[in-house]
Amino acid sequence: MWIAIIIGVVVILVAVFLYNSLIAKKNQVTNVFGTIDALLKKRYDLLPKLISTVKAYMQHEKSLLSEITEMRAKAVSGQLSDDEQVELDNKLSKMLGGIMVAVENYPDLKANQNFLQLQRTMNEVEEQISAARRAYNAAVTAYNNAVEMFPTNVAATMMGYKLKKVFEISEEQREDVDAEKLFKS
Amino acid sequence: MKTLEELREFYNSTLLADLEGLEQERKKIIQKLTYLIVVIVCVVGICFFFWVGSSKTNPLVIFIPLVLCLIIGGFLCKLLMRGYVAQFKSLVIERIVHFIDENLNYAAHDCIDKSTFMLSKIFSTKPNRYKGDDLVWGKTGATTIKFSEIHAEHESGSGKNRRRYTVFKGLFFVGDFNKHFTTQTVVLPDTAEKLFGHLGQKLQSLNIFRGQLIRLEDPEFERHFAVYGSDQVQARYILSTSLMERIVKFKKKTGRKIYLSFVGSMVFVAVSYTKKLFEPRIFRTLLDFGPIREYFEDLQLAIGIVDDLNLNTRIWSKE
Repeated sequence: MWIAIIIGVVVILVAVFLYNSLIAKKNQVTNVFGTIDALLKKRYDLLPKLISTVKAYMQHEKSLLSEITEMRAKAVSGQLSDDEQVELDNKLSKMLGGIMVAVENYPDLKANQNFLQLQRTMNEVEEQISAARRAYNAAVTAYNNAVEMFPTNVAATMMGYKLKKVFEISEEQREDVDAEKLFKS
Repeated sequence: MKTLEELREFYNSTLLADLEGLEQERKKIIQKLTYLIVVIVCVVGICFFFWVGSSKTNPLVIFIPLVLCLIIGGFLCKLLMRGYVAQFKSLVIERIVHFIDENLNYAAHDCIDKSTFMLSKIFSTKPNRYKGDDLVWGKTGATTIKFSEIHAEHESGSGKNRRRYTVFKGLFFVGDFNKHFTTQTVVLPDTAEKLFGHLGQKLQSLNIFRGQLIRLEDPEFERHFAVYGSDQVQARYILSTSLMERIVKFKKKTGRKIYLSFVGSMVFVAVSYTKKLFEPRIFRTLLDFGPIREYFEDLQLAIGIVDDLNLNTRIWSKE
């Protein structure tokens, strides 16, 4: 009798532990995803300032600047699906990289204190976004491992948990930014 | 960064001439020490002779003079060495520090204070015996740094149950980090994962006193270190992929146990040593490049942390 009760209690404790660990992992993923969102918003807030500062100096990149402005407007509209949002962010990252490279051609801009401060803040936000993406990938990997590995997979199936996708860098992004090609298009 | 060739040139052109005077001083001290040892041996010998000669004599006849001789001898030794050590530090260590970077300052008797040591959060045990010396501080490039030798111990119990163990012994470095952050991240040598693999990683995650376990992507870094922090994203913001590579390279370069932490926009680095650092060796000639090279390499290792961890790169909002 006692043995049955002990076994019963142990089974319940294990089940609670598995259930809670899965919930914690899922929440970690959601939490880090929220951080990425917040950081992307910070980047969108910085963009108008950056564009208004560089516009006065950059003569040959006017179309690129207006394209960035349009993309920003689209991104903050909140009408995009998650996949579209990620794609847009990637494209934006690449274009901003191009702007930073093009700055080399404008010595006056490079000496502008306002721009230098913005550039530093931009670098910081970009690095924070990349850190948040790495954190997201780590959280998703821990979650996916739990969903696939025994014994948590049993609980995961019962709870209807599915595998999640990690952030992947597109082939386009893996290539170095080619400023010349970017401005010609 | 100064090279060994530059050091050799500095040694031959500047340092050597001054060291010759100090070398004479060292020889005089050795002579005095020899006399002292001879006197002690004679006193002990005479007492021993009396004790053996008369079987009724109390053993204290030899014991008391022996203890007295050792106490007085030790005191005289310290007195003889004091002036020499001070001269050595200002003539050798301080000048090597200025040779590496003339903007740095040196104080032979100061050290990183205990509150800074504890602020690093690297060591969870609070030491109750804390000492150190050879403080170097100043600005190298855009980075403010401070480091010294530290010997921190914890003593517990009393009488026969008294236990003392070393919390940390070695070089302790504090530098201004190049990014802003508000969280705490601690990088510790990884023993559990090295010994037990995946199970070790599970054990690490149970270490609730340290905060969350941060699993990073660099497998080589993960093999050497375990990272704990209060925020998953900020820990990765600090430990960028390039910084992880640099830390592994630094660990391999030192070949020692190293601990790092990032607290209050500062970086703390503790490098374990068993030997005492930056001390003169009285029984070895000063006119030899070998020991000078060793002092230089230990100092360069600490000052070089700025380059090794790329702290002078100021492309983020912190200037």
